[in-house]
Amino acid sequence: MSEEKKEYNKPLPEFRPETKPFWEAAKEHRLVIPRSRETGEFFFYPRALSPGGDMSDDIEWVESEGRGKVWTFSIHHMGPSKAYKGEPPYVVALIEMEEGVKMMSNVVDVDPKDVSIGMDVQVCFDDVTDEVTLPKFKPAG
Amino acid sequence: MSENLPGIQETRELLKKKKVVIAGVGETEQGKIPDKSSFHFLSEASKLAIEDAGIKKDDVDGLVTAFSLVEHTFMHCTTFADYFGMNPRFFSSVAVGGATAVWMVAEAAMAIASGQAEVVLCVRGDNTLSGISSSGMLALIREMCHAEFEFPYGLTTPGGYALAAQRYLHDWGARREHLAAVAVTMRKHAADKENAMNKDPLSIEDVLSSRVIAEPLTKYDCSIISDGGAAFIVTTEDKAKELGIENDLAYLWGMGQGYSHQYLTTLENLDQIYNAVERSGQKAFNTAGIEPRDVDIAFLYDCFTITVLLELEGLGFVPKGEGGAFALEGRMEIGKDLPVNTHGGLLSQAHLGAMHHVVEATLQLRGDAGSRQVEDPEVAVVHGNGGIVSAHSTVVLGNQPIN
Repeated sequence: MSEEKKEYNKPLPEFRPETKPFWEAAKEHRLVIPRSRETGEFFFYPRALSPGGDMSDDIEWVESEGRGKVWTFSIHHMGPSKAYKGEPPYVVALIEMEEGVKMMSNVVDVDPKDVSIGMDVQVCFDDVTDEVTLPKFKPAG
Repeated sequence: MSENLPGIQETRELLKKKKVVIAGVGETEQGKIPDKSSFHFLSEASKLAIEDAGIKKDDVDGLVTAFSLVEHTFMHCTTFADYFGMNPRFFSSVAVGGATAVWMVAEAAMAIASGQAEVVLCVRGDNTLSGISSSGMLALIREMCHAEFEFPYGLTTPGGYALAAQRYLHDWGARREHLAAVAVTMRKHAADKENAMNKDPLSIEDVLSSRVIAEPLTKYDCSIISDGGAAFIVTTEDKAKELGIENDLAYLWGMGQGYSHQYLTTLENLDQIYNAVERSGQKAFNTAGIEPRDVDIAFLYDCFTITVLLELEGLGFVPKGEGGAFALEGRMEIGKDLPVNTHGGLLSQAHLGAMHHVVEATLQLRGDAGSRQVEDPEVAVVHGNGGIVSAHSTVVLGNQPIN
């Protein structure tokens, strides 16, 4: 995806110990979603303890097919900082995953005008630096 | 939702017994004022509120402050106590974003009801427009979204509200005009507020054709950034009499909070937001012993136009999905069904959280709102919202003691 490595100035995630498996999988172009082994319930974003009533620290990382639907989106015409110069318009969207959780991401490989609520999307991976890969979404099919 | 919420009766008894009031208000000049620091604004606003109440600085024995986006401090209230030169026996910093100012009233009331203080100065001020650095602004945006799972995707604060707005338009078949109408009403009201930043007439067309920030929100769907300060004095009716305060008093009738989510990632649906607004409002309304239809004037947090529609509907002033039509028909204007933000709000007056909403509610109940005075209002509601419609706080104020 990123053959010619350009300098990447935009904010990068700072990994926490409990989120590291997510980012390590992303680097391998796999999407994993945490689930409590005690209740079998998925949750997102990753936490050390399940946010459910079980408060379990017995968390498993389940590989996802990466399929979801756009729950809502906004075409950003202004980025949060100068690092985004030249970038807008870009699409920020909340994706409702088949697992039932939502993920914030970008919808890419599509004209922003063609994005709509309910649109089927599929995960793809953007290797923004040598260390960080951001899961993003593109129209499915 | 009219089940008995826990704590209503206890709070009601306390407020009836103590008769907590707002007895003085102050607001500094608002705008772009580069020659004043954050603590300068706090001091000036405090002085104005103390003078408005006609009391002495030494009469104040409690202090509630908020936070600063410019001056970084871990102990904001005591940092200000030192700067201003006071020795409060009760002090607290409230930091729940835009829900802060409304909850400062409640924080002061709880301190008073439990005997921690008798006269509490609540103050917020900041040189946000002139003083914030670009890194400070970035830190603020990062704080509003999840630093690890949202921020790397370029989500902005207007963008977060835009995500809620887009879903709102989708769920209710509403149009951008419905959002724009909120900005138009706020601008109309600001025209009559002496201390408002944006007074030029604004039309629906102006809002729709202005620069798009994050679809569906344009520049005028977004609140302004400003420098300034505001303060109010919370005490009891008895103490106000003892101190010889001559102002008409605004009586606290009820208070409540409602939490929905912190990050949009964990939001399930719009109902989750409505429920949080409703919980906050219900607690305040039930304590006050009123229904939404008893409210004469409302002060609703208006960081973005969408926020006002969600609050109008969540608080039960209009059925869900009908806030936009209510706004478009001009029914939030002075003299109409429910005057909202008679001072012009965050969209047109100035942005200091809901401090000015509390100040204006008090002025309206006192009959001191000048050319924008609503005719004989008896009951006001003030609602604050922090985060991305995440955390809510509501107070009900009346021009007579709670009965």
